[in-house]
Parts: sequence; structure tokens; C-alpha cells
Amino acid sequence: MRYIFIIITTLLSQALNVVVAQGIVKGKIYDKNTLEPLRGVYLIYENKQGTITDENGCFSVKSDTGKLNISFRLLGYKPATRFIVLRSNDTIELNIGLETDILDIGQIVISANKTEQKVAELTVSMDVIKTADFLKTHITDAQELINKTPGIEVLDGQASIRGGSGFSYGVGSRVLALIDGLPVFSPDAGNIKWQFLPLENIAQVEIIKGASSVLYGSSALNGIINFRSADPTNIPVTQFFAETGIYDKPKNKNWVWWNTPRFFSNVSFSHLQKIGKTDLGLSINLLNNNGYRKFNDEKLGRISLRLKHHNQKVKGLVYGFNINSGYTAKRDFILWENAENGALKQDTSTVSLVHGSFVAFDPFISYNNTGRFKHDLRMRLQLSDTRFPVRKENNSDAYSCYSEYQLYYAIASFMNITTGISENLSKILSNFYGNHNGLNLSVFTQLEVQPVPRLKMVAGLRVEQNSLDNKSDKIVPIFRTGINWQAAEYTFLRASFGEGYRYPSIAEKYASTTLGSIKIFPNPFVQPESGWSSEVGIKQGILSGKTNGQADLSLFFLQNKNLIEYPFGSYPDPITGISGLGFRADNIEQSRVYGYELEFILNRTQGEFNTTLTGGYTYIYPVEFNQITNKNTDIYLKYRRKHSVKISLKTSYKKFDLGVSLYAKSKILNIDNVFLDETTRESILPGFYEYWLQDNKGYFLLDGNIGFNITKILNLSVAVKNITNTEYMGRPGDIQPQRNYSIRLSGKF
Amino acid sequence: MKNLALLLIVAGCLFSSSCNKDSQSQPFKQLTGHVWASDSLLANGVDASGPDGMLKNFKGDAKFNQDGTGYFGVYIGTWRFAYNETQIIISTDSLPLPLTTKIAELTSISLKVTTSYPNLLNPAAPTFIRMTFKPK
Repeated sequence: MRYIFIIITTLLSQALNVVVAQGIVKGKIYDKNTLEPLRGVYLIYENKQGTITDENGCFSVKSDTGKLNISFRLLGYKPATRFIVLRSNDTIELNIGLETDILDIGQIVISANKTEQKVAELTVSMDVIKTADFLKTHITDAQELINKTPGIEVLDGQASIRGGSGFSYGVGSRVLALIDGLPVFSPDAGNIKWQFLPLENIAQVEIIKGASSVLYGSSALNGIINFRSADPTNIPVTQFFAETGIYDKPKNKNWVWWNTPRFFSNVSFSHLQKIGKTDLGLSINLLNNNGYRKFNDEKLGRISLRLKHHNQKVKGLVYGFNINSGYTAKRDFILWENAENGALKQDTSTVSLVHGSFVAFDPFISYNNTGRFKHDLRMRLQLSDTRFPVRKENNSDAYSCYSEYQLYYAIASFMNITTGISENLSKILSNFYGNHNGLNLSVFTQLEVQPVPRLKMVAGLRVEQNSLDNKSDKIVPIFRTGINWQAAEYTFLRASFGEGYRYPSIAEKYASTTLGSIKIFPNPFVQPESGWSSEVGIKQGILSGKTNGQADLSLFFLQNKNLIEYPFGSYPDPITGISGLGFRADNIEQSRVYGYELEFILNRTQGEFNTTLTGGYTYIYPVEFNQITNKNTDIYLKYRRKHSVKISLKTSYKKFDLGVSLYAKSKILNIDNVFLDETTRESILPGFYEYWLQDNKGYFLLDGNIGFNITKILNLSVAVKNITNTEYMGRPGDIQPQRNYSIRLSGKF
Repeated sequence: MKNLALLLIVAGCLFSSSCNKDSQSQPFKQLTGHVWASDSLLANGVDASGPDGMLKNFKGDAKFNQDGTGYFGVYIGTWRFAYNETQIIISTDSLPLPLTTKIAELTSISLKVTTSYPNLLNPAAPTFIRMTFKPK
């Protein structure tokens, strides 16, 4: 009994020791220049604990005794770290002044070189879109997000960066979309599945403006858009929102076709958490959009799950998987009824309900022990199907398996090499396209050298071969190079050259169907596209009193050959030989684009006001050239605009935040002749020709949003898009949304 | 600096090797190598080169320039190969639609093309066209 008492007493005292063996760290974080307290500074310390400072910049945390590393982070400030030894019942006070940092100039990106790198040290132009940039503005569709980025235009799902691409009726893409570096396009139509990109669980979107095929292969002819999944921090984060909205009447009252309001609604949930050595990310999004156009609506659900495990026994070994999946039931808009009173009504001959599903399973394993070597093995198994309940002959199933091995090796302190191999195996089962098997193999390597501390140079080479139905195209070698020189503390000069190419999609080669009165003819002989882009640029950090930010100016030139278009004409049927009227893919466009782009971001904190001004202006001169004479023809490229501007102002004050964005684009310079020629224009798009002559003038758009923090967790916001109710058009006959209002209740905890 | 020089040399070699000029194909050389004179212009097997004929405007000479421009009878416009160089597509402002013709024969002494022109009133009964040319 006596021994039992001693044991219990000992255990209790041990337990008590555990309880009391804690100390307190408290203090205040302030701006080193202005001495103003900083609210919302993230503190991360041992044992995955974390907190943030209150409105007075104060914090107080309890922690186990012992050695403690505490880091302090706030956007716009240089991070700080303190090392302390905490003893039992100690109270340590840490008052720390954070130094202002140039906004975003040191942010880490991965897409440009497939390794982590500061954005200022890149040799190419890159835009980075942060989650907060689109959450507050009620943007839930990746296509809308990208379309509102300076220098980019998305026409009916087809993205064009700096005028590098036109519009080819939704088939094929010269911009490659990726999720965490893995391509996410449909193997049949070769287009981007925008609706399945999980915006609700994205850390940032990185956009490379220029040919990127050396690192990313076919389809990166004009650039890439990499959606990077968010990693959990030591503090679990749960976010959600529920939103509903309504479309206003269009400016042209003759176009109103509805009797009941046109609503849209969206709910979203995401959660990020570390569980032991495993990172968990989960997100769900549900959308119901009744649409502002007749016979053009969508119901969508998507879900993503990410698990990443850090092996405890083998340091540097990380493995896991991502799953992205979605289902949609929608009616796409193809042709309007007429310009007079049917511009927002789809011509019934082209109406078609389509059900689409998408599943991508991405296992990965990465090993990085010493920092000198890093091995990455990644894979994407993707299944997508398209079902037309009425036009079953257009159904299609597409399967693909992409895998990539990449090795990073730091040869010396001033030199590293990234090399890898990749394959993409695809299988299409379709009446629409026919059944096809594809195989794409590639090897790439890239050398990065830093001969002197402020100079970085990069050169890369890719060799790729594409096979379709066991017939191989010729092996394509392509090259890129670039240089970045830090001329001053916050001044970075860059120059780059990169080649690109794109293999035609299955749809461009084999699609054969009838849409209303229009036929689509196959062309199995359509050839790959190729081109290159080059640029020189300067990125300048700005730090002046309470204002900081950066400005970026680039001059660019790009040239592409054999771009695929869909000219309207009389073509012989491949089976009967009898000609009919319709569209057929062909290598038509030889394009050159000269231009410059200015982008800036400025941030100022004054008292409790935090204001950010961002913007960009892009000028392009897009012109055809003759491949034989090598001279420009002075004919403008189709579906390009010379000028585009975006200016966005965001400010927050206490519990309120406010945002206003202005977009301006000049007129479309040229379009396909089929929409202008008197023999064809009325039968394809009734009334379009007169509309084009009168209304192709460019446009201004204004979006606004206001939010209020109800509690520390809940936020209520209202957004109005197209405040001025501007009437504007994307591709011919595609009238864009009129003014619409939405209200959103969101939470973060 | 030695490393830098080496890198530039390697980069230069890679760049020069990746820039290969497109070579001209045999059909391209044959088509652009002559001024072609119309020989027979048939619509549904009947001569259509007369004053009221459907193909009267193709009567005369045709020249396919290497830069993609050319003249084809009275038409002035552009031409290009399509469908793995088995078709010639002629575009001019005078024709409502580009004319896609199938190459039936192309040698240094003969050019024969065929096409069918859609009949908008009766799609099942198009007009079958055959045009032959000889070097001038």
C-alpha cells in the first residue's frame, strides 16, 4: 500500500510538473518605421502552434518550457524570427519592429523553372494572382479570373496571352493550364476544363506570359497558367461561403426574354490542416447558374482532396496524392437567334444539353534530403466523359495517364541543373472523333548558372515526340534561354527567348459533325503549330515612406507559324468527295505580335487604412506575315485587341473592406470573313454584321465590392459586376453578362 | 567567366541547330514553277469556259507565286496547299467562298484539279467541276 501511495504521488507530481512546466511569451509587434502597432501578424512557434496579433499589435502565448523558435510574418513586411529559452513560469516579453518589405517582390514561385525561385529573379514575365484577389470580388470561375488579368483575353474558353492566340471555336488551347504543375486539359478537344479547376483551395495562380514548351511541352506555345494548391500551415484553416446573385436587365431592353429573375448561387467549403506529419486539404464547390441567356445554363459540383505525408523515418521523403473531380450539366451557348431581339437567346438548332464528368488522381513522391538533390515523381490519371442525351453520336470518353520524373541537382553553389522525362498516354473513345490512341514522350533539361551574385542565366532544351494511332510525328527539339541581372537592390533586368509548339488536338484532326446548318469537316493532315517569344523587362521595387510596391515593364515580340484556324468554305466530304459548306481546321495563320506591358502594385498603410492599387496596361500590334517573303502583310490578326487596361483599388478600414476594378479593352481588330461576307453572314449569325459595324468599339467595365466583418469569423459582402451595365462581346455573337449583383456570407476560422 | 563562355557556346549551338529552314516540297516547286494555261474547264462534264459558262473567269492563265499570291484567270488572290498537299485552296475577293480543289494530277507538264460546287437549292445535286492546265 505504501509503495502504491509513493507511485501515485510520484505520477501526480510528474503530471503537475507537466502542467506547470510552461511559460508565457507576450509582446507587441509594430512597424519599425512608423512605430504603429501591426494587427494580424502571424506567429508560428514550436509544436505547430500559432496565433495572430490583435488590433493593438499584441500577442500572448503559453508554451512548454525549453528552446523556442518564434517567427513573425505579415504581408508587406520582412519576416522576423526570434530564438528564446523559456523556463517554467517565466514570462518573456518580445517587442519587435518589422521592417517594410517590397510588396511581393520576394515571393516564391515555382512555375518558371519548376523549382522554387523569387519572382523578381525570373527571366520571364510572370503574373501571380493571390487567393484574396478573387475571393473578395466574388469570382468563382477560373475563366473569369484569368480573363480579368492584364494582357490576357479568354474567348469562349480559349485563353490568349499578349495576343498570342486568336479564337478557334473552342477547340485546342495554346495556353496550358496546370494544377500543381501537371497538365489539366481534355485529351480529345485539347481545351481547358476551366469549370473543374478548384479555385476554393488554391494558394496562388502563376501565369507565365510567353512560350513555355521547353518545360511544359505541347500546348504551352503561348504560356502557362499554373493553379497551385494551398498547403496547410500550423494553424488549421476552414473557409466557406454561400452566395446568391441575380442578373439585371441588359441595356438593350429588346433582348429581355425572361419573365422570372435569373438567379445564380454558389456554395463552397475548404479545409486545410496538418495532422501529425500529414497535410490535409479538402474542398467542395456547388454552383447553380440559371444564366442570363436562354438555353445557356449550368449546374456544377466539384470536389478536391489532397493528402501529403512527410515520412518520419526518412528525412526529406514526401508522398501523397491529389484528387480533383467534378460533374457538370450545362447547355453551352453557340449561336444567337438574332441581333434585334434574340442576342440573349440561343438559336434552337444549336441547343444541346451536355453532361460532363472529370476525375483526376495525382499520386506523387518527392525526395529531398541534402538540398543538393531533389527527386520528383508525379503522375496524373485522368478520366473525362462528355454525354449528349439528345445527340448521342457526339458522346466522347477520354482517358489519359501523364507521368513525369524530375531531378534537381545543385552541381555547385553557382550552378544547378533540372532534368526530367515525361510521357502522356491517352485514349479516346468517341463517335464524334473516332477512337484514337496517343502517346507523347519527352526529355527536358535546364541549366541555371549564377556566375556572379547578382546575375542569373538559364538555358533549357526539350526533345519531344508525339504519336497518334501508332504514327509518329518527327522529333521536335526546342530551346529557351534567359538572363536576370539585379542592377540595384530593388531593380531587376531580364531578357528571355523561348520556343514553343503545339500538336493538333484530336478534335482539330477528326471532329466531324453538323451544328444546325453548319458542318464541321475533319482534317487529319493538319500540322503542328510552332513559334517563339522573346522579351526584355525591368522590375522595379518601390519603397517610399508608407508606400511600397513594384512596377514591371516588358517589351515583347512573338512569332508563330501555322496556327490552326477554322476557315469557312466549301470542302469535299472525305468519304463521298462531294463538297459541302462548313468549317475545317487548317494551318492558316502566320502571326507576329509586337508589344509592351506595364504592370504595377502599390500598397499603403495609413492608420487603420490599408490600401492596395494594382494595374496593368498592355499594347499589342498583331499582324500577319508572309512565310515566304518573311515580311509583314499589314493584315491584323483575328480576335485581337490593341489596348487592354486593368486598374484595381482595394482598401480596408477596421471591419470594412472595399474594392473597385476598372477594365478597358479596345475594339477587336479582325474576325473571320464568314461573319462579314454577305453570302454567309446572315445564315450564320443573323443581324451580326450591322451589330459589328455599330458596336465593335471597345468597352469599359466597372466592378465593385464591399464587405463587412460581422465577427472575427464571419464576413458579409456584396459585389456588383459590370456596374455601368456595359454591353460588350467576346467572340462574334457571344454577348457578355450584363450588370449582376451578388451577396455572400463567408467565414474563416 | 570560362563557365559563362562555355554556356554561351552550348546555347548558341543548340539555337542554331533548332533553326532549320522549311524546305520546299516537290508539289510546291511544280505548281509554282510555271505559268499555267487553261486547257479544259468542265462543269458536270460539259465545257463551261464559254461566255456564259460557269468557269469562264478561270479561262486564261494561272500563276501560283511562291509567296502565296497569284492570279487564276481573271481572279487575283491567294492560294495555299491543304490536306497534305492534295488540295489547293484559292481565295479571292471576287469569290464568295474560298474554292477548295482536289489535285487529280500535278506534274511538270500537267495540272488537273477537281471539285464539286454546292447547290444551295439542292444539296444532293452539286456541280462537279474539272479543270486542266498545261504549262505556258
